[in-house]
Amino acid sequence: MVAKTPHDKEDSIPFFPDHITTEAKVVVGMLVVVLAIAAYGMLSPVGLGDPADPMNTPLHVKPEWYFLALYQLFKYIPKTAGVVIPLIAVIMVVLWPFIDRKPDKSRKTQMIRFIIAAVGVIVFIIGTIWGEVS
Amino acid sequence: MKIVFRKPSHIIVTILVMSAILIVIFANAQAKATSMGEIAAPSSEPAPGEPADIEASMTAMMAAVSKAPPTPNTDPCLHCHIKGEEKGIWTPLSRWVLFGSAGLFFAFGMYRSASVWRTRTHWKPITTRAAEWVDERYEISEPLSKVLSKPVPNYALRWFYCLGGMTAFLFVVQAVTGILLAFYYKPTPEAAYASIQYIESQVSFGAGIRAVHHWAANGMIVMCIAHMLRVFIMGAYKPPRELNWVTGVVLLLVTLVFGFTGYLLPWDQRAFWASTVGSEIAGAIPVIGDLALIFLRVGWDVTAQTLSRFYALHVIVMPILLLVFMMGHFMMIRRQGIAKPL
Repeated sequence: MVAKTPHDKEDSIPFFPDHITTEAKVVVGMLVVVLAIAAYGMLSPVGLGDPADPMNTPLHVKPEWYFLALYQLFKYIPKTAGVVIPLIAVIMVVLWPFIDRKPDKSRKTQMIRFIIAAVGVIVFIIGTIWGEVS
Repeated sequence: MKIVFRKPSHIIVTILVMSAILIVIFANAQAKATSMGEIAAPSSEPAPGEPADIEASMTAMMAAVSKAPPTPNTDPCLHCHIKGEEKGIWTPLSRWVLFGSAGLFFAFGMYRSASVWRTRTHWKPITTRAAEWVDERYEISEPLSKVLSKPVPNYALRWFYCLGGMTAFLFVVQAVTGILLAFYYKPTPEAAYASIQYIESQVSFGAGIRAVHHWAANGMIVMCIAHMLRVFIMGAYKPPRELNWVTGVVLLLVTLVFGFTGYLLPWDQRAFWASTVGSEIAGAIPVIGDLALIFLRVGWDVTAQTLSRFYALHVIVMPILLLVFMMGHFMMIRRQGIAKPL
């Protein structure tokens, strides 16, 4: 069993109780945050907009923030392309581990992936902000 | 401890006594409720078919007209209402403390006495006995200890390894608050908006629960993306962990669908039109676009049917999908261990 795991016994801790304790600390921390959110929510509720009216289209329809960048994309390219591009992107992401198969040899490959991820995140954030202000 | 019925007559007597107790309790509650105006008192007037004294019926009618009807019960706390108590924090709190501590004391006594009961040979807590009883039958202690004693590498204690676990924890938060909200939410266009107003203004801690559900949903997506970026940058998706990456992407997509379907449920303008536009985008998918649109909207427009469908997707289909993929995700982590960084 030890031979199967990728690490030795020396540089590892047992799952129970050591690792569980660490995880419990994280959980307690998250719980404090959640309760703080609840207290904040009691003071200023999330609230509601006007009731839905199918006859009356508001001027600015906006989705949740995580769809905003995508929504901004739809405004500027034809509809079919706007659907196909994200679909292809998702398929690319799903198939990524089958494309990038070589085990890492150095920090350089990690750095490259970090740059790719950073560019992706920055593009997403810019799109979201753009969608929010426009 | 065992209650032994030696004769069938014992059972019959027990049932009779218990039903007598129940009848007394019920009659008592009924009388209390009647005196509080909960329910109409049993009428002493003669039935309409029977001949009756006209004068008596006239006075009864006058009395009925002149007397104002009892105010309808608007108090949501039936218990306090029936008891006719002023609702405050101290009465229930002191009661909880008093009876709660008494109950704990009693439970502890039961536990102790059950532990020493019939232990001539050697003393063992009753919980150990119960665990042994279960283990004798299901033989779970050995695999369980194997699961629990699995070594976790030290590098997994770095903070960025907990992002996925935090996502899972936020899902638990979402499940709990979601169930609490579902107790009060009504998925119809007429009632949805009002039911959320009711949750925010009338239900105890309702505004807090809804706020947690709202913000933890956003937090779950943030954590999900952060976890994915961590895995991507560190190359933790490399063989043999490809399928774990695939299930992870599916989990992110399911989370996004959760967000999309949950967004319609408040049934306000923002929700309605965001869902209209969103399902329109689904309709632009080549070849299956119309099918997808009709599947989402149940017709060509966003209607009551759409709300029902989104609600069902949000509270039944997506949780099941998420749980299935989460189980796969976690089991693969257990099987393969946490990827070693460079």
